[in-house]
Amino acid sequence: MSRQVHLNVNILNSGVFGGSWRFPGTDPLAAFGLEHYIGIARKAEAARLDAIFLADGPAIREDLRYRPFNSLEPSVVLAAVAAATSAIGLIGTLSSTYNDPYDVARRFATLDQLSGGRSGWNVVTTAGKESARNFGFDDEPDHAVRYARAAEFVEAVRKLWNSWEPDALVGDKPTWRFADPDKIHSTDHHGPHFDVAGPLNVPRSPQGEPVVVQAGASTDGRALAARVGEVIFTAAQTEQEAAEYYRDVKARAVGYGRSAEGVVVLPGLSTVIGSTEAEAQRRRELLAELVPPEYALTRLAGQLGVPEDALVLDGPLPWHLLADADEAGGSQTFYKIAVGLAQRENLTVRQLLRRLGGGAGHRIVTGTPEQIADAILDWVDKGIADGFNLMPDVLPSGFDDFVDHVVPILQRRGRFRTEYESTTLRGHLGLAVPAHTVPGSGDAADRVVA
Amino acid sequence: MIGVDRTLHFLVNVGSAGYHPAAWLDPALTPDAFIRLEHYQRVAAVAERGLLDGLLFPDIPVQQPSIARGPAATLDPVLLTSALAVSTERVGLIPTATSTLNLPYNLARRILSLDHVSGGRAGWNVVTTFEPNAARNFGIEHLPERDERYRRAGEYVELTKKLWDSWEDDALIGDQASARFADPDKVHAAQHRGEFFTVAGPLNVTRSPQGRPVLVQAGSSAQGKAFAAAHAEAIYATQFGLEPAVQFAGEIRAAAAALGRDPAQIRILPGLVPVIAGTTAEASAKFDTLQARLHPDSAPVRALARWLGYPDEDLALDAPVPERLLTLPENRIGPQGFFASLTRYAADTGHTVRQLLSEFLGGHRVVIGTPEQVADHIETWWRSGAVDGFTVIPAVLPSYLEDFVDHVVPILRSRGIFRADYTGQTLRSHLGLREPANSFVR
Repeated sequence: MSRQVHLNVNILNSGVFGGSWRFPGTDPLAAFGLEHYIGIARKAEAARLDAIFLADGPAIREDLRYRPFNSLEPSVVLAAVAAATSAIGLIGTLSSTYNDPYDVARRFATLDQLSGGRSGWNVVTTAGKESARNFGFDDEPDHAVRYARAAEFVEAVRKLWNSWEPDALVGDKPTWRFADPDKIHSTDHHGPHFDVAGPLNVPRSPQGEPVVVQAGASTDGRALAARVGEVIFTAAQTEQEAAEYYRDVKARAVGYGRSAEGVVVLPGLSTVIGSTEAEAQRRRELLAELVPPEYALTRLAGQLGVPEDALVLDGPLPWHLLADADEAGGSQTFYKIAVGLAQRENLTVRQLLRRLGGGAGHRIVTGTPEQIADAILDWVDKGIADGFNLMPDVLPSGFDDFVDHVVPILQRRGRFRTEYESTTLRGHLGLAVPAHTVPGSGDAADRVVA
Repeated sequence: MIGVDRTLHFLVNVGSAGYHPAAWLDPALTPDAFIRLEHYQRVAAVAERGLLDGLLFPDIPVQQPSIARGPAATLDPVLLTSALAVSTERVGLIPTATSTLNLPYNLARRILSLDHVSGGRAGWNVVTTFEPNAARNFGIEHLPERDERYRRAGEYVELTKKLWDSWEDDALIGDQASARFADPDKVHAAQHRGEFFTVAGPLNVTRSPQGRPVLVQAGSSAQGKAFAAAHAEAIYATQFGLEPAVQFAGEIRAAAAALGRDPAQIRILPGLVPVIAGTTAEASAKFDTLQARLHPDSAPVRALARWLGYPDEDLALDAPVPERLLTLPENRIGPQGFFASLTRYAADTGHTVRQLLSEFLGGHRVVIGTPEQVADHIETWWRSGAVDGFTVIPAVLPSYLEDFVDHVVPILRSRGIFRADYTGQTLRSHLGLREPANSFVR
């Protein structure tokens, strides 16, 4: 049997492009209300996708004059979506820099109980001054410090998720035995960044543990992804980048004593769909036109870490101002993509903006449903992706097109499920349920995941 | 001070299987009810059927050792209430969250997100957390003293209000033609620098459909009362006797007025555990059955002794509480309000320990009787001006709440002192509280 494709849909506000909210027929403020998320989640569930995915950051980083931004808190949104759905996975982003492990462990454990084992935690280290300033810091902690903290954070969270043994809840009425205290274990985590006594006050998850999701292109990010990520979200633009990343991260995972199959690699994929190729191209052009130009320029300057006036629309990138990607602050993932693209194709600022299309720096595929399906299967068949994190051009309409026209093709070709075969996110992703490990009896985060 | 708002108000305390430690032994409940969304959905549906104002979810972020004998705090209440927002339309949703162990930006954001998800039905029950084991889950070895905890809570709430006011009501534009998404002149950064917190803002969540989520508070220590007078819009404090309750209400409203607040804009809703049956005798028997289900270690007399902070050998069932036990033990770190209220009640009434045991449960007043008797109790207290209503604390969920909604609420309604329909969409509207002005708009 050919390899099955895994698909998540990333609900990025109104869509991945800076001008998505202006697309004809789109409610510009939909992303500020719950119905937007429930509607897309139900559609995704009807199409048997693996999960919905919510990105996040605890600050307004976008220029609010020109476009929507992450607003409603993801774990709160996902709890409501859990109540409105029955099978779709629910992945939310929470920062390891601006949260406490106990709270994060508890919220995902709660989400797993509310949803019957459908939650996933996307661990991010949160770049940017804007977020730092909402938590009493002047600037983001150093990149290496953020990643060291993230690694310890995940370790502590996983110890907490292992507080309750699977059969700790006894519930024997005649003997008054509700839970067996001998099967509820303290965490006693002590490290450079955290001291967490535990135990967590939530019974073990229906899927063992929530799924850990990680993205990260920097050297530190890859190391963390390979060590703890069960789903790895990448931003590869080209086949070559995707192949290099896929092989590297799986090899690193194996190096940590994990199995290659226990790591599901899903590059981001922005889709622009038309019933003909020409129609898709026209849609793509319209989306580029709808990006407010002031916004595009300001944003690129911020992302590259250069002053706004250093960018001239019809000139080259200011190479003398650009640092090596691993030394740059901010989001290195985007930086590498943008700089790599401009360098490879010798693009002017205007051309680069057009290529990025106000997108988040992920690969954009424009075409007919057949072409989109081909593009998806191409990378999966080449063994450089296990599926994709879909970033539709416009929400919900671009996702509706994907579900109505691309998913049936993948299903007809026998490459995508027509019914759910499990009830948990871990099950959808083909990930094994981790064995329970008593905290302190071994490093939970280093444990081999099937 | 009463007279502006002439209807009763009811919150419901929703604690896992119910407030009684033996609630989970009820034959109708499965042991895992405390982690089942369906259980809470049933409870919420009953409250909404009764047109009650809101559901209040207690919480503490720690595994309580009492889990060996029954359910304890478990699911994160902000997420649980968010899930309940989907299956309900009107009832208010009030999670408890501690100001001691949460970062203000994050908590302000989660509560305001809940408010949007529920269409303006969110409240926040502010607690300051006195449990050292909870603090140790957050790397804190030594919790600050009560004074500092409340000073910190005060700054926390002030900051939270500023964050909730980040967006003016019309700051979001979304004009597709002109490409104007939002008006930065109507988005305000808190730029807060205080004794405990430094937070820039603005919050990335737009203004609440009800102005701001409703602030609820339960503490009744001296510091708790001062905090309530300054900030609380609904107060969930323990009251056993009517006379002290009248006094408490007077003090709170006067203190609020002294701070420039409208004293009529505070809802005082003490806890009430109703035990209802067709006759008084049946109701008593019902309570006895529940008490008899307790494990010997949790026998009511031992629970009372523990609450008072003394060994249970010091209490004799058929004698009043000895006078020497009516003073606060040294180094007792638990809530002071309950202690003060219960000991005063015991002294004022001279009731025996046995009588007291049928008048309180956990930290709250039990009222056992027929629907008429429970309705009378509620009406008497309400007419006295001591309370605006009660926080109903069902001993077993959902059955004790069903008793209240199906048998007591109709009597109160027929007496014209409780609503016959919801008249608004938001928790603030149910409680008869005005929408606060945005503090950034002059």
